[in-house]
Amino acid sequence: MRTTLPADVVSYGDAARSRLSRLGGAEFALRCETDRPLRDGAGEALSDLGASDLDVRSDLNQFLAAAQLCRVAGSVALPWPLVEELLAIDGARLALLDPMTPRIDHGDLAGSWVGSDLDGHAVAVRPGPPRTAKLGPFVVLAELGETAARISAADVARHQVLASWRILGTLEAAFGQVVEHVRARTQFGQPLAEFQAVRFAIADANVALRGLEELAKFTSWRLAAAPGPRAAVDATVLRLSAVDSAVRVLRTCHQMLGAVGFCNEHDVSVLDRHLQPLLRLPVSAEVLAARLVPAVKSGDFETLFSDAGGVAH
Amino acid sequence: MTDPPPTDSEPPIDYDFGAAAAELRLRLRALIREHLPAGFLGAFSDNPADLALTQEFCKVLADEGLLCLSWPTEYGGGGGSVWEQTTVREEMWAHHEPRGAQYMGVNWVGPALMRHGTEEQRAMHLPPIAAGEVIWCQGFSEPEAGTDLASLRTRAEPDGDGWLITGQKVWTSYAQMAQWCVLAATTDPQLPSAERLTLFLVPMDRDGIEVRPIASMLGPHHLNEVFLDKVRVGPQDVLGKVGSGWAVMRDALAYERVGIARYARCESLLARMLAVLDSDDSWDRLAPALHTRWVRALVDLRIARLLAYRAVGEQIDGIDPANAAAARIVTTTCDQSVAEILMEAAGAAALDAGPTGPLAGAVDDHWRYAQAATVASGTIEVQRILVARSVLGASR
Ligand SMILES: Cc1cc2nc3c(=O)[nH]c(=O)nc-3n(C[C@H](O)[C@H](O)[C@H](O)COP(=O)(O)OP(=O)(O)OC[C@H]3O[C@@H](n4cnc5c(N)ncnc54)[C@H](O)[C@@H]3O)c2cc1C
Repeated sequence: MRTTLPADVVSYGDAARSRLSRLGGAEFALRCETDRPLRDGAGEALSDLGASDLDVRSDLNQFLAAAQLCRVAGSVALPWPLVEELLAIDGARLALLDPMTPRIDHGDLAGSWVGSDLDGHAVAVRPGPPRTAKLGPFVVLAELGETAARISAADVARHQVLASWRILGTLEAAFGQVVEHVRARTQFGQPLAEFQAVRFAIADANVALRGLEELAKFTSWRLAAAPGPRAAVDATVLRLSAVDSAVRVLRTCHQMLGAVGFCNEHDVSVLDRHLQPLLRLPVSAEVLAARLVPAVKSGDFETLFSDAGGVAH
Repeated sequence: MTDPPPTDSEPPIDYDFGAAAAELRLRLRALIREHLPAGFLGAFSDNPADLALTQEFCKVLADEGLLCLSWPTEYGGGGGSVWEQTTVREEMWAHHEPRGAQYMGVNWVGPALMRHGTEEQRAMHLPPIAAGEVIWCQGFSEPEAGTDLASLRTRAEPDGDGWLITGQKVWTSYAQMAQWCVLAATTDPQLPSAERLTLFLVPMDRDGIEVRPIASMLGPHHLNEVFLDKVRVGPQDVLGKVGSGWAVMRDALAYERVGIARYARCESLLARMLAVLDSDDSWDRLAPALHTRWVRALVDLRIARLLAYRAVGEQIDGIDPANAAAARIVTTTCDQSVAEILMEAAGAAALDAGPTGPLAGAVDDHWRYAQAATVASGTIEVQRILVARSVLGASR
């Protein structure tokens, strides 16, 4: 057992944090809503970080470095389709979508795209023009074109796992702001952090984040250590857990901030709104959960006792 | 320009327990299959034969060097890694703790004796624990001192070179069957709580001790009252130093912070229930909402397991109490949500107890015991307090 991230992966994450923060954090993401070409700055920062050299398909170390990059991107709501680019196929960004209602976050950026559902059925996609929306401000509609070469289950799994790391990064950043807030904000003559109701809400959110981080590391390892149908299940488990945790943690964040957290200028408002595509697309949490039901029955959802003969009696 | 890390420059993460632990898991399952009847629900039943079975099984484990696997060999242990010990904890709890009440002795009384006991105490108590021959109980909680344990009132009144202990303990698990008790009492009520308490190692047959069982929904033996009337103890009975009770208690309980591997029994019960439901297509007819609750329970159990591993791993590198507390919060809440799922899956048979009930009574047994998961050995509120302290600092 070795569950701590390797030092070079951590230091790559630190370098990414310092470079991406220089863009201006969530405030930069907010400005991009009204000045879309500004997003190119995010693409440039990523190439400074050698993002396109990361081979997420080669080995665990490279994958973990990419995961840290996604985590940091999440923490600043980086307005760029990073996961889709890390998994590009022949230069076309890979978007996971629901073919019935195809939507692509940042689909309006220059460049080509290939779309795939969660089962790897791929199609060429033509993203539509920018829209305006508060939730997922960079999401565009897409039209489906011709059938494309099937996407491997491994790539779909990597996509889900990297997206989950990105979700984790956003949640950690929002939670960090809320911790600062409850320590600084005074009501009834004492910091909010003195009230047990507040402390317990913070504790529960923190436990959710600790759990998600462990699961994200474990699942990343599993993709490399045990590829095959179980890795696809593991990735969906992580994605479901990330989405469920996000809903709970962000709810706590908003509640602890009071009214200020709803303001456009507040980072948590930006982080929350910009995270929404990762929580709803390509399918909802309930659909993810339903997709795991057959894996419970088949035993591909691995537990200490999922293999026949696991239970002694 | 920052270069991404080179390929495989360092060993990456690894969640494998290793071959020894995997082999051990199979060995334990084989031993359980060989020595325990199907449908075994643990020592704490109305049938004394169940207790006898666990005592026999402990001797089997002890002979195989598996009872105290993680203890140093000099004390009769197997010198196993924490991961092998974790495997033992998981398999034992999953199979209804066939060590019976030994858990207490093996997991914290023994380690506490190794760290704080005198040479005579170690020589006297460790071999019987390692051989599975003795049952210990823990006399801490009192009617007025639950979560606020430091306020306990049982008094050790100086008398000659020793003390006379008078007071009352409550919720003392296994007190009826135990031969020995780690008893907490105040040696000097005037001192601040950190110095008031002393721990004593007391045989349960000493004059002045009376045990009364408390009937409960949890089942027999889990809860008892212990009345103490001028129970004589001497300096040789003190664990640690006089006045160091609080410190020893906290240090000893650190070994139990991770708590029992409740997630393992949850995973085993869900697997057993699935097998039953799947044998006649009932699984496919379950309400879809129950299917997805089942999925989410398995997700949370995986997280509970990983958090426990993180806390166990830190036993090697120094414990952050918040990690263990986080593991317990997730594990104990899983225990209760799985209890509800099993009841729902059992449908109208949910309330059928005993061998003819769902999973041979295991569903009923699990639901009842799960109710105490968030209370026993440190409530979930206490765990939240610990996590909050690590995030926000101590409250004023
Ligand atoms: C199955 C079982 C076995 C047990 N075995 C033993 C044993 O062998 N030996 C032994 O000594 N004890 C044993 N106990 C006792 C156990 O340690 C106590 O029940 C536990 O510490 C809680 O104490 P209490 O029951 O007095 O509840 P209380 O302390 O009265 O607490 C009641 C409720 O108030 C909450 N609360 C209390 N203080 C605070 C606070 N400051 N902030 C927020 N909430 C608070 C608690 O979390 C809980 O929810 C056992 C209990 C159970 C259920």
